[in-house]
Amino acid sequence: MKLPYSLFSRRAFLNSLIGGWVAALGAAFISPLVKFIVPPTREPDQVSAPLADFKDMAPHTVKGFAWGNKPGLLKKTEEGGFIAFVGVCTHLDCNVSFVAEQRRFYCACHEGWYDENGLNIAGPPPSPLRRLAVSIEGDTLIIKKQA
Amino acid sequence: MNVLRAWIEERLGLSAVTLFLEKKEVPRHKHTFLYYTGSSILLFLGIQIVTGVLLAFYYQPTLAEANASVVRIMTEMPLGWLVRSVHSWSATFMIAIVFVHLLGIAFTKAYRKPREATWVTGVMLLGASLAFGFTGYLLPWDELSLAATKVGTNLPKAIPVFGAWLTQVMRAGEDVTGDTLSRFFIAHVSVLPLAILAFLGVHLFLVQRHGMSVPHEVERKGVKTPGLPFWPNFAFREAGVWLVLLGLLITVAVVAAPGIGPQADLMAPAPEGIKPEWYFLFMFQMLKLFPARVLGLNGELVAVLIMMAGMAALLLIPFIDNRPAERKGKIITGLAWAGLAYAVGMSIWSLL
Amino acid sequence: MNRRTRVVAAMGIFLLGSFVASGILEARVQEAPQAAVKPAAATAPGQETPAAPRPPRERMAVYVLLAWVWLSIAVLLGLLRMRIREADRVYLMGLGREAEKAPKGPGH
Repeated sequence: MKLPYSLFSRRAFLNSLIGGWVAALGAAFISPLVKFIVPPTREPDQVSAPLADFKDMAPHTVKGFAWGNKPGLLKKTEEGGFIAFVGVCTHLDCNVSFVAEQRRFYCACHEGWYDENGLNIAGPPPSPLRRLAVSIEGDTLIIKKQA
Repeated sequence: MNVLRAWIEERLGLSAVTLFLEKKEVPRHKHTFLYYTGSSILLFLGIQIVTGVLLAFYYQPTLAEANASVVRIMTEMPLGWLVRSVHSWSATFMIAIVFVHLLGIAFTKAYRKPREATWVTGVMLLGASLAFGFTGYLLPWDELSLAATKVGTNLPKAIPVFGAWLTQVMRAGEDVTGDTLSRFFIAHVSVLPLAILAFLGVHLFLVQRHGMSVPHEVERKGVKTPGLPFWPNFAFREAGVWLVLLGLLITVAVVAAPGIGPQADLMAPAPEGIKPEWYFLFMFQMLKLFPARVLGLNGELVAVLIMMAGMAALLLIPFIDNRPAERKGKIITGLAWAGLAYAVGMSIWSLL
Repeated sequence: MNRRTRVVAAMGIFLLGSFVASGILEARVQEAPQAAVKPAAATAPGQETPAAPRPPRERMAVYVLLAWVWLSIAVLLGLLRMRIREADRVYLMGLGREAEKAPKGPGH
């Protein structure tokens, strides 16, 4: 069917086609660069440490360990087991500390408080401290991401 | 859309630029293809700046970390090997086209009046491009680049009076050390980019001001050469050239990505097979071949002096070749061909 | 193309080809173990780290990218040719020069 008038000129049509396709090609060139800008995540899947370092902890005490680039906190419970947290405040990512006398975790940035199980009890933090799964294999302590 | 255009026009007045680009004419003759070389250099310079900034996100310019950071870029960062490969190959492409551009201008004698200043800024740009290549080559800090830098920074010592001092300035002391690396890094990412942008600004302004030069043999005929409007006719042709160059670049970068050698050891003996990048090969070969003593003078000194004379001649060609159409001009063209043959011959010889 | 152009073009392609070939050869040499060129006394603690897409998924992605790049370039060159022909046709018609001859409106 032949149209009596053209909706747009030959020039405009070609310009749009060229522009569109150049944009697609440009995206193909830019995509590797965009992937390059963000390095792959460095959080480990699991961390192991010799049990001897943590065996003699008193209950309700906390010892630090390295969880990739973040601080990890290992706590000895009343029963003699271990629980582990990622020691990063859920508010704005500051590192938290353990106040032994109060058996609570404290974030100095905006005065956020967590109880000894990591539950957020006061201040701005919106959610509890992230838990990690702890298991003992022989004389090694294994800390993993919680499933 | 038109409202936006009117808003910008009232404040920036860019229509003067677009009108100029539409009016500007590119002469059509046998050598019109040479006019593509200038913008192609700009294309690769742009690619260098973008990939260079991205590499600098992860590169650590210290003695302890330089090589390891490059290995990290190549192995850990997503497509890091590709970004580095593009940066390395685009450098080669850019300098190759700089040479083609230089030869095109020289053989069509586009440097004759009133374009002498354009030529001089152009030679400055050539120097800056080669300096980019030289400083960049050291940054991976592997055995080959350390050795090549030691040789390269040794050259100025042969210059009388201030040669030794110049070498010390380049090396930050007597020897190539971590300080040399810092110096080369800051030259490569800060000093040279500023210099090249400054020279480029002047060079481009002069080119637009004087318009495209027509080869003197065409000009001599006296007839006005037919022209092509820059926008859109020539610009779209240029876009086609850019596309092909980009395709070649990415293909070569994928297929022949460079590796990296083990970290440089300042105490280790020099590895076998040192050679500089291809654009320095002819000078490298010349130095290898020169006898230790020439006419009672130090051989290296004579070689360096000859090289410096060559560079001076290159810089001052528009003033030397003041009668391009006559016999003097033809002799100079012949000498230029001889120089080119010499450079190419020496480069190929050094590879054998 | 006359003879001289052909000779110059052939020389140019030869030079360009030799530069690229030397670069590719150099990249190959750098990937081969260094023991081939170095004297036995000096040992390289780490071999040359070659650069290449290693995980098979990445390898496929990169070759797909190359194919898309060349396909796009072919299509774009075709489109550009059409656009250039249009621009040349308009230019040869001399519309720009005609526009200059027209008397300018009250704003000028």
